Amino acid sequence: MSAAPRVLALVTDAFGGSGGIAQYNRDLLDALVESGAASAIVAVPRHGAGVADLPAGIRQMRARRGRVRYAVAALAAAVRLRPGIVFCGHLYMAPLAAVIARLTGARLVVQTHGIEAWPPPSRLRRAALEQADLVLSVSRCTRGRVVGWAAIAPERAAVIPDTVGPAFVPGDGGGFRRSLGLGTERVLLTVGRLDSRERYKGHDRIIAAIPGLVAGGHDVVYLVIGAGDDRPRLEALARATGVAGRVRFLGTVPRDRLVDAYRAADLFVMPSTGEGFGIAFLEAMACGTPALGLAVGGATDALADGELGTTVAEDGLAAAISRLLTRSRPDPRELSARTHARFGREAFRARVGEVFGRLWAPA
Amino acid sequence: MCGINGIFSYHPAASGADEAELLATREAMRRRGPDGTGSWWSEDRRCALGHRRLAILDLSERAAQPMLSEDGRLAISFNGEIYNYPDLRAELQAAGVRLRSGSDTEVLLHLYAREGADIVHRLRGMYAFAIWDQARRELFLARDPYGIKPLYTANDGWTFRFASQVKALLAGGKVSRDPEPAGIVGFYLFGSVPEPFTLYRDIRALPAGHTQLIDSTGPREPRAFATLAGMLADGAAAPAPAAELRERVRAAALDSVRRHLLADVEVGVFLSAGIDSGAVLGLVRGAGAREIRAITLVFDEFRGTAEDEAPLAARVAALYGAEHIVRRVCRDEFESDFPAVLEAMDQPTIDGINTWFVAKAAKEAGLKVALSGLGGDELLAGYSSFGDLPRWRRRFGPLAVIPGFGRIARAAIRAAAPGFARRCPKALGLLEYARCWGGAYLLKRGLFLPHELPALMDADLAREGMRRLRPLRRIAASLSPDPGSDAGRVCALESAHYMRNQLLRDADWAGMAHGVEIRVPLVDATLLEAMAPVMPALTRANGKAALAEAPAVPLPAETVARAKSGFGVPTRAWMDRAAAAPDEPKGLTSRRWSQVVLAAAEALPARAA
Repeated sequence: MSAAPRVLALVTDAFGGSGGIAQYNRDLLDALVESGAASAIVAVPRHGAGVADLPAGIRQMRARRGRVRYAVAALAAAVRLRPGIVFCGHLYMAPLAAVIARLTGARLVVQTHGIEAWPPPSRLRRAALEQADLVLSVSRCTRGRVVGWAAIAPERAAVIPDTVGPAFVPGDGGGFRRSLGLGTERVLLTVGRLDSRERYKGHDRIIAAIPGLVAGGHDVVYLVIGAGDDRPRLEALARATGVAGRVRFLGTVPRDRLVDAYRAADLFVMPSTGEGFGIAFLEAMACGTPALGLAVGGATDALADGELGTTVAEDGLAAAISRLLTRSRPDPRELSARTHARFGREAFRARVGEVFGRLWAPA
Repeated sequence: MCGINGIFSYHPAASGADEAELLATREAMRRRGPDGTGSWWSEDRRCALGHRRLAILDLSERAAQPMLSEDGRLAISFNGEIYNYPDLRAELQAAGVRLRSGSDTEVLLHLYAREGADIVHRLRGMYAFAIWDQARRELFLARDPYGIKPLYTANDGWTFRFASQVKALLAGGKVSRDPEPAGIVGFYLFGSVPEPFTLYRDIRALPAGHTQLIDSTGPREPRAFATLAGMLADGAAAPAPAAELRERVRAAALDSVRRHLLADVEVGVFLSAGIDSGAVLGLVRGAGAREIRAITLVFDEFRGTAEDEAPLAARVAALYGAEHIVRRVCRDEFESDFPAVLEAMDQPTIDGINTWFVAKAAKEAGLKVALSGLGGDELLAGYSSFGDLPRWRRRFGPLAVIPGFGRIARAAIRAAAPGFARRCPKALGLLEYARCWGGAYLLKRGLFLPHELPALMDADLAREGMRRLRPLRRIAASLSPDPGSDAGRVCALESAHYMRNQLLRDADWAGMAHGVEIRVPLVDATLLEAMAPVMPALTRANGKAALAEAPAVPLPAETVARAKSGFGVPTRAWMDRAAAAPDEPKGLTSRRWSQVVLAAAEALPARAA
């Protein structure tokens, strides 16, 4: 077996970035170095602020926004690094990554996340992806979509799910409740971007379910964490539904407060139809809070086919919320332990090491 | 012969192998194995194997499956027959191995423990099996070089599943039913779904002559260990004198038939009035079998006409001293069996009806195993393709290589002679497809041609299916390495496509639907290796003639003469009626039929939520 390869990572953003994809990229690059699957990594981001303090073995160049400048920077980095593997963190950069991999003789890995990879892409991107030695998806659903439009051997398409960090563990959410002036109300929580173009997270469905839940005797409060341009519309919807007093829009919150929010909730619910995976489900369950989603897209992966969380069809949402609020809450430590066992850092690192190890040194 | 299945949750995020799913998949194959069931779980329940048994060798419980090695390290689920297992058994015993049963399954376990994946180079027979290695935490799959026994796999990125049948995997309820355009297009082109594709995106055949390893990282790409083209190329590289042809056919076919008689139950013979099955029967007699029962399928429509196979078959049966069972079939029976046929049909096919009825007759006669003459035409230049393909290549190839010529000619003919274009849609393709072997073969065997697809299905689906299937490239791959002679090339093409994807698959589902194992002694890698050095000398005249003379008492001259004109079967007309076709030119029945069986496959009851 040859020594571990150097990896050139073309990413939208990683260290210093925000959002799910940046988080995934950081986790993956960390795991590559920690597992020994990569000897050194150079990341070339499109955006994100510079970061001084990077994990050992990882270097991140400064962000290049323009396409041409980005391509030049990536090529220059490739020439200097002479990578064994080119990791392409987003489908839209696959053509560039494929060219660099071909020029340098490196193996090509293309990462796919969610809705960006569900419909068939342009021919150029498809052709680039079909050149990949390995296509990674965060969920079975995304993998299935990719294998559906790309003519690649199914064995070259693997799943590496999102992972949840060690900070997400059960604890006392009482302080968070008190800070919002909450008493004995049952707290529903959704964490996710409020994007007027996407609108798939399902906030509307929960707001619509609230009157029925209240009528059914559930004194519920719905906390919405996340920012975005769809907020005014959702606020108006809450008013029109007559539940404005029960829906609280909290905007974005810092990491430690987010953990407390998960702990404070009675039920994490995100009836989304467009999750590539749905990291927030994992975070909630890792904090010991039951999670509910639709059996659509990557959510079934995060909820582990119903073994960690609950999945329902869309028309069963209100009944499922009611049922889960009625039953006694499962042991948070037990739920957290099972979540970390499947999706924690250790399982993630081992999976990344195995999958990249096999790519580099096939048996 | 049995049904096998298994689940391996290789991904740490996946739940363990689900019991309800394992059993649902296994029980969907109950007709493959009416004699017993078994299931096995690894200690951590990440891997599970299932088995449905049709007991043929060692009928006792000692041979039940899944079977574990003595130390518990290996577990196997196996479908098929290893015809050289007595040799392998003796070899193991000589090496001091203690065997508990008289089954070939146990021999496989011991051999795998000693030789690992190389085991496939030692096996003669038809097989599909899975072995779980507890120490290495690996699953190993293998399928015989001709692809006589089926094996389908499904990988969703978390969990790997396999089974002997596509419908069984679907019955488990956890495999996506999203369509595979390449499978649908391939069915329209060939009349059967070309492996590795199926009608479903997530279900693939493990290709014939391949092994596959699945470990904690997931499935590796299947690896070829034997190709028919390779065996033919090896033979062509060391050619034998043409004068050896007859003796080689005699000795190798007799050896193969003798091997195929290995069983602890009675072995019958499917007998038509043709050369292949007659020769097999004669060789069965030559191999020393005493009481032989031969089954002939005849059609009421032909009673008393020259098309009736019964009299000639009866003569052959009498010649070799076989008890002759004549099973008559009429249209009423076809129509009443029709729903059951569609249900048993694992993947859509435009054939298999005759096999359904002859297997049904075997079951009625109490037979569990029967030999068939399938494969004689592929091996010994029995098809017209052995003449047509080389001729087309010579005549039309030079024109067809001119870019665009074929397409323009097609348009011109269609404009000038629309009636001809409708009656003979394939003739229009000659100038376009004859430029390469793959094209000529597609033309010869094709049900529809690629340019006809958009009229049959959504144009985008057709385009995507063609892109994924790449039929010409796929056909060309079955000629690599070059078999070295025209006869060898056509043999490889017919064996790796028509026979594998249609005839053998039909023999599997139609036989299994009645719990009858159909054995094919003329489809045997050892026999092919013996024939490969004389392939260049093979002609349409000398090949089948040599087979007719292979038994110690040759087949009657009448059989050989009659075989040239062939026999009709009324099943085409029945299918026509079942497919409710309006007036259509003759020869297009299978096109209509293809729509019926595809619609039936697509109308499978949706999986339970």
